[in-house]
Amino acid sequence: MIEHDFDEEFVPIAAELQRLPYLSPSRDFADRVIARIDRLQPARIAPVTAARHLELHQGGQQAVTPRRQMGVLRATGRATAGVALIAAAAFMFFEIDVLTAILSAAVTQYAFTLAAVGSQVGAVVLGSETIAYLQAGALQAIVLYIALAFGLICGYAGIRTAAHIAKRKAA
Amino acid sequence: MPARSYTDVSDQQVVVFAQEGREDAYRELIRRYERPVFSLIYRMVRDKETAEDLAQETFIKVLNNIDRYRPEFKFSSWLFKIANNITIDHLRRRQVDTISIEGSPNAITAESARATAVTVTSGGESPLEELESRELGAEIEKAIARLRPEYRACIILRHVEDYSYDEIAEIVKLPLGTVKTYIHRARQELRQYLGDLR
Repeated sequence: MIEHDFDEEFVPIAAELQRLPYLSPSRDFADRVIARIDRLQPARIAPVTAARHLELHQGGQQAVTPRRQMGVLRATGRATAGVALIAAAAFMFFEIDVLTAILSAAVTQYAFTLAAVGSQVGAVVLGSETIAYLQAGALQAIVLYIALAFGLICGYAGIRTAAHIAKRKAA
Repeated sequence: MPARSYTDVSDQQVVVFAQEGREDAYRELIRRYERPVFSLIYRMVRDKETAEDLAQETFIKVLNNIDRYRPEFKFSSWLFKIANNITIDHLRRRQVDTISIEGSPNAITAESARATAVTVTSGGESPLEELESRELGAEIEKAIARLRPEYRACIILRHVEDYSYDEIAEIVKLPLGTVKTYIHRARQELRQYLGDLR
């Protein structure tokens, strides 16, 4: 009850004012209000901001995850581009012969190691007999190639000697 | 989340539950204040549909910003403040002074008038008392409707909702002296309008 701060003539009117009834809105008033309270509504579908990949979204959760192959391909592409850039830089800043020498030294240095590791792995995979057979074949091939090279050199030397003699006689 | 009973829970505590996102707390706040807010707005605008729209707008604004509520103030004061702001803004856009508790002043036919009539809650009186009360109440309603909107808000908050002058000044965003002046003048005008009944 409020304090009595008005004259006596207003007392009956104040009493009538206090007796004024409350008025009621429609029965579905609360439902209509609740329907428009943002935080009580289910999560809306989030817009796809990154459109580089088409992904399905359902109820705010990803229904389809990004495909992994695309990531591998992208990484491979980036690695290739990186190596190409490094090689281009190397050719720009180093002489080509120097680069070749570096590569040759590396191959020479690690060739025997690679051969030894390769033969061991081959022995495990193919069996020692197979490796022995291949190695024997390889030795025969080496001897054959050495003989061929020796023949070519000797033939070339013989032709040059004959040509030199013929030139002297003609002079 | 199961609905709980809020029978002995204060407004501030219900607000805390609402801030946690409990729908039953939102519904409880609406249940407690839909009639006082709707009544205030209706007595300001004198049109049921408009009053419903404005009351709905009031609750949506309050409940969507429930996190901004400061518990050092009465929740009802904050609610009435927003209701008053929304109603005054509406009245500034469109002056509505015609009165008819039996239906909207815009109603053309009897059916539309009945459709827009408001529901008045009975106080459990005898039929004769209820009739007299309704007649007196209707006269009071008419008298209130003849007041300036600023006077209406102040006199309703003072004599219907029992707010102090300070609280009314806070709700209607007017200086305390202005509020006292408005209420004094409103009482004088009401006494004048209702003089024939006394």
